[in-house]
Amino acid sequence: MGDFFSNLALGFGIALTPMNLGYALVGCLVGTLIGVLPGIGPIATVAMLLPITFHLEPVSGLIMLAGIFYGAQYGGSTTAILVNLPGETSSVVTCIDGHQMARQGRAGAALAIAALGSFFAGCFSTALIAMFSPPLAIVGQSFGAPEYFSLLVLGLVAAVVLAHGSVIKAIAMVVLGLLLGLVGTDGNTGAQRFSFDIIILSDGIGFVPLAVGVFGLGEIIANLMAPEQQRTIVQEKISRLWPTMQDFRQAWPAVLRGTALGSILGVLPGGGATLSSFASYVLEKKVARDPSRFGKGAIEGVAGPESANNAGAQTSFIPMLTLGIPGNAVMALMIGALTIHGIQPGPQVMTERPDLFWGMVASMWIGNLMLVIINLPLIGIWVQLLKVPYRLLNLAILLFCAIGVYTVNNSAFEIMLTALFGVLGYVFMKLECEPAPMLLGFILGPLMEENLRRAMRIASGDPMIFIQRPISLGLLIATVLLLLIVALPAIRSKREEAFQEN
Amino acid sequence: MRRLALVLAAMLGIASSVVTAQAQDKFPTKPIKIVLAYGPGSATDIITRIMCEQLRQILGQSCVVDNKPGAFGILAIEDMARARPDGYTLQVGNVSTNAITPVLFKDKFSINYEKDVVPIARLAELPTFLMVTTKDFAPKTLAEFVAYAKQHPGKLKYASPGAGSFPHYDTEILSRRAGIEMVAIHIKAGPPGYINDMVKGDIQFAFMNVATSAPQIKAGTLRPLAVITDKRLSDYPDVPTMAEVGFPGVGTTLWAGLFAPAGTPPEVQQTLQKAVVQTLNTPQVLDAFTKQNIQSRPNASLAEAKTWLAGEIANWQKISKEVKIDLTD
Repeated sequence: MGDFFSNLALGFGIALTPMNLGYALVGCLVGTLIGVLPGIGPIATVAMLLPITFHLEPVSGLIMLAGIFYGAQYGGSTTAILVNLPGETSSVVTCIDGHQMARQGRAGAALAIAALGSFFAGCFSTALIAMFSPPLAIVGQSFGAPEYFSLLVLGLVAAVVLAHGSVIKAIAMVVLGLLLGLVGTDGNTGAQRFSFDIIILSDGIGFVPLAVGVFGLGEIIANLMAPEQQRTIVQEKISRLWPTMQDFRQAWPAVLRGTALGSILGVLPGGGATLSSFASYVLEKKVARDPSRFGKGAIEGVAGPESANNAGAQTSFIPMLTLGIPGNAVMALMIGALTIHGIQPGPQVMTERPDLFWGMVASMWIGNLMLVIINLPLIGIWVQLLKVPYRLLNLAILLFCAIGVYTVNNSAFEIMLTALFGVLGYVFMKLECEPAPMLLGFILGPLMEENLRRAMRIASGDPMIFIQRPISLGLLIATVLLLLIVALPAIRSKREEAFQEN
Repeated sequence: MRRLALVLAAMLGIASSVVTAQAQDKFPTKPIKIVLAYGPGSATDIITRIMCEQLRQILGQSCVVDNKPGAFGILAIEDMARARPDGYTLQVGNVSTNAITPVLFKDKFSINYEKDVVPIARLAELPTFLMVTTKDFAPKTLAEFVAYAKQHPGKLKYASPGAGSFPHYDTEILSRRAGIEMVAIHIKAGPPGYINDMVKGDIQFAFMNVATSAPQIKAGTLRPLAVITDKRLSDYPDVPTMAEVGFPGVGTTLWAGLFAPAGTPPEVQQTLQKAVVQTLNTPQVLDAFTKQNIQSRPNASLAEAKTWLAGEIANWQKISKEVKIDLTD
């Protein structure tokens, strides 16, 4: 334990030098900015700044790049709450209740809870990294293709509770998402699926055009359909900037649960952190005493997922730092940033370069503090933004959407795709179909397919592999239990309904 | 010595600016756009960005990297080929996009690749290892590996980034020459997506570049059996070459190259080629490349670059005829 504190002291000694504080601040500011702007994400930003880090001390470069990565998680919630525009995969679910809160004039409360929840999650998961990195990395490593597939099955089944309307519609939207996720080149055979000989579609549909179109543009079209007065009423209702005591009481258990869930999922290789916000939303809805509040501005629906995605972003550093295994594209870039300085991430890093490991851990904590300091005063400014007349605001949003979508792949085709999805999003709204389950299907579908096929090949075509591996078996059992829990009340209420009709 | 070099460089700089000022249109007078067939952060992207930093010192103009990934590189190549052929729009691609795609997906192009695109120079090469897992897996040499595979036909799995990718071809060619049979597992995300499966021992074999392999070699979780370069690598003197272990010519060298529209004026092509060679030999670039396990490999002249690309394409025409991979359309 004494070792632990001396290590931590070493880390803070490094992270608190004026230079490293500066790099952490730059990273956090850039991260917040790219998080707020739709489209341009942490991967592209980190890649562009990578050459700069070649000239820095390795620990300074790492501190800055890490700041960008987790800073983007803070920023991503802002547009989701204010204008129903998810900038990153992780903020899709924040749209559901966060934007409803904004419509009720509680944008400030939603933003504050998102920032504070993220801060708590960031601190907690940083402590986890400091104390339990090696054992947690082993847990993450035990997840192979079969385990991942079973986890995704559980996730998809749980996703049905994401919707707050008709279950049939939710399932239909998940399936539609799965189908959209199939577009592109089949990695196993090279065959083209649903690409209609459009060469750009051979890489599939991007997340950004789909999310920006269905959520952001769909919302704008719907708003413009409403009479002018109604729109201004929504904006004038902003009463207070800060969450009430009631808000805090409802939010803090959700923050705790989200943090725990995100910390675990973040350690898993291959996009575990992406799942964390979805998983947290599902969990919150499941444990809520009154699930019907969800989708109408429940603060837990913001607090849980926002904490979860930040915790996941932090713990996804664990496999990279301790095993040299990149869990996602940003981590692969970080390994690049380290190797250019002759440092090989891996089990030896903690012992050979304690300055690097502990300096980075300490900087994460400082970075989170900076982010909360940056983000809280910004809330006032963001909320003021909602007072801009909508006829001007919607044009600005459209412009930023177009720029954001274009910058992802420098592709004009994706802007047209976004417009198309915008119309689709409006149709969904009119049909009262929730877009969030569709996005979930879209994200999980390709992951599921790949892991299923990978698992089957690993097992030489024997499906028993899903039952023979203990973790996979456990997850499948959990899925069956969940199905029963969901199905039982439905069956019971059906009976009651039947009685009532009699 | 260093000061002398600086003085010389300055003089050369003045001399060359005088010469170019006399010429009617001194190239370049504005930033150069480089269309890149891969997303930010890819190996090709890192090579390009390292090069760009130094190229600016030599050409006096910055170069802007425009990432246009997708469609096997066709988007980036066509974007460049259709631009005005004035040397201000170039393209960087690798063996996949600029030698294999033109062979395998020839009919997907709306340009004639071999007529409309010219190589300026090969830039760099990334050495590749033949890697195996160490988890519950005894073979320590390629010979032992082949013997193991023969005892367990169809049991070994190998990873590739996709059907028709060069690691897929490479492994199929190796299997044929060695007379073994392995099951392909295609994982779109590439090595970041399958390192964990290999460390876990679910997948036993893959061709993997040195940069990606290094952390795992050091940790002892994966083992290099051979390297596909002509000579052993100085950092890994114990790893034999493919020729030494009896499989000469097996394995694709991952290179990155710079390309231009065919109509680009010869003198502009010349200027670019010279600048690239100069850039890739600066200590800054060499140092940055070495740390990333990248080898600087510019062609000596435009003519040599043409011969090299033609050879690469001919080689892939041969391979794709020899090893039939069904890319169901």
